[in-house]
Amino acid sequence: MSVLDGIAIVGVAETAIGKLPGRSAISLQAEAAVAAVADAGLAKADIDGVFSFSGYSQAMMLHAARLAEHLGLRPELAVVTDVGGPGTHHAALLNVAAAIDAGMCTAALCAYGENGLSIRRSGRGRAPGTLTGGEDFEAPYGQIAMISGYALFAQRHMHLYGTTSEQLGAVAVASRHHASLNDNAHKREPITLADHQASPMISSPLRRLDCSLISDAGGAFVATSVEWARSLGVPFARVLGYGAATTHHIASQAPDLGELGGPIAAARAFERAGLSAADADAAYIHDACTFSVVAGVEALGLCGEGEGGPYAESGALALGSDCPVNLHGGMLSHGHAGGVFHLLDAVRQLQGTAGRRQVDGAETVVVHGNGGVFSTFSTMVLGRGR
Amino acid sequence: MTGKPCPDLRDRSAAPYWEAAARHELKLPRCDACGLVFFPPRDLCPNCWSDKLTWQTMSGTGAVWTFTEVHVPFYDDTWADDVPYVVAVVELDEGPRMLTNIVESDTDSLAIGDRVEVTFEDRSEGLTLPVFRVVNS
Repeated sequence: MSVLDGIAIVGVAETAIGKLPGRSAISLQAEAAVAAVADAGLAKADIDGVFSFSGYSQAMMLHAARLAEHLGLRPELAVVTDVGGPGTHHAALLNVAAAIDAGMCTAALCAYGENGLSIRRSGRGRAPGTLTGGEDFEAPYGQIAMISGYALFAQRHMHLYGTTSEQLGAVAVASRHHASLNDNAHKREPITLADHQASPMISSPLRRLDCSLISDAGGAFVATSVEWARSLGVPFARVLGYGAATTHHIASQAPDLGELGGPIAAARAFERAGLSAADADAAYIHDACTFSVVAGVEALGLCGEGEGGPYAESGALALGSDCPVNLHGGMLSHGHAGGVFHLLDAVRQLQGTAGRRQVDGAETVVVHGNGGVFSTFSTMVLGRGR
Repeated sequence: MTGKPCPDLRDRSAAPYWEAAARHELKLPRCDACGLVFFPPRDLCPNCWSDKLTWQTMSGTGAVWTFTEVHVPFYDDTWADDVPYVVAVVELDEGPRMLTNIVESDTDSLAIGDRVEVTFEDRSEGLTLPVFRVVNS
């Protein structure tokens, strides 16, 4: 029995996604927060914990206290987690679970958001080279963007396993197809493999359509006990298993592909849930680039090591397959605000509120991915709450 | 002043690394207790936590572990005159991997496993970066 077993996600919300000039990151987080509380059927007075992360576009100290002040809340706990990617939100849920167990919180607000698109154009964004963690030993070489860090791993995967650019393109096409079913997605116009192959090289072997978007957007969810969630009478998701793995920080210190933390995190999460990848009705994989999905389907055990490229090319990612991936459109097409939207859409699948992209009768959904340059991995298995 | 990111050259755990680079030498710490040669430099051995370290001159040779050719200047025009440039992870013959640039080489034919040797880029303000070039066999 884990403190996580009794945790429910009862409300989710996201703002408009795209270019939203003049919006601070915290205003986007607050807008999503208010909507998530309403989605849960709760009111401001019910919220007694704030768990957040500033995001990287307007990074700040004590962000959760700032957000609480912004929302006029005075919770016992205001806690920041920064694990990177989905791990940030998963670790927040672990903190919520511990806080509820300790009697320090009953209903927690978890909010995230970035204004990376607008602030970059304003020139007030965070200084280049500080995001990849290699200020001293990597940034001076021009390793200043996350995407070129990912490109290093994509290149090695191609070398070791024969993965092709066309296989990466299949990920981009599938993501855009799903985004076309999502009215709130940043990019909804369908693309073809030819579009992918014609898009300019950004950091070889990754082309523009291999890269996640940069968006202004906020997303939030409300977490509470399963017991309380039942009393609210709203559909909810519950945590079935959580696993993580941390192997390094900067790109040069990564172990080789077969030893990265993805499969370890996934195995831990499935074991704790008493389930396997075959039980997942959908998967949400943190797609900083198309290659992240190739690595992710391998890590989750949806295919074998090195087989992620052919798996993507087979059509297995699309709605209608056994385990469709990134049904909201992912960061490749739906929007990028620290990766929280994967968790939000996983919850919607379990609430049965995912509209045209709903997997009928979804009972189990897995959220997986990395922070940094495959530095931290986190997997959370979620189930339909009853 | 190039505007490119500059490491903290006075950081105690790395100063000997940068001082050696300025003399066009590649030196890394080697643990006196367990023998591990490691990168990046720090005050203790990440294997056994010993703080008894000796700076050792590397052979300067290794192989390309992976690489990417960066085609666009990210964020602003700091790197606009450099694109396309090659960022690589090189595995030194002594074992450690380090991120670097591949210079003075035919990057169109660059491949993982290519043998490389260290050379040095004197940049500015006392900063010299170890970089690598492909060794033609």
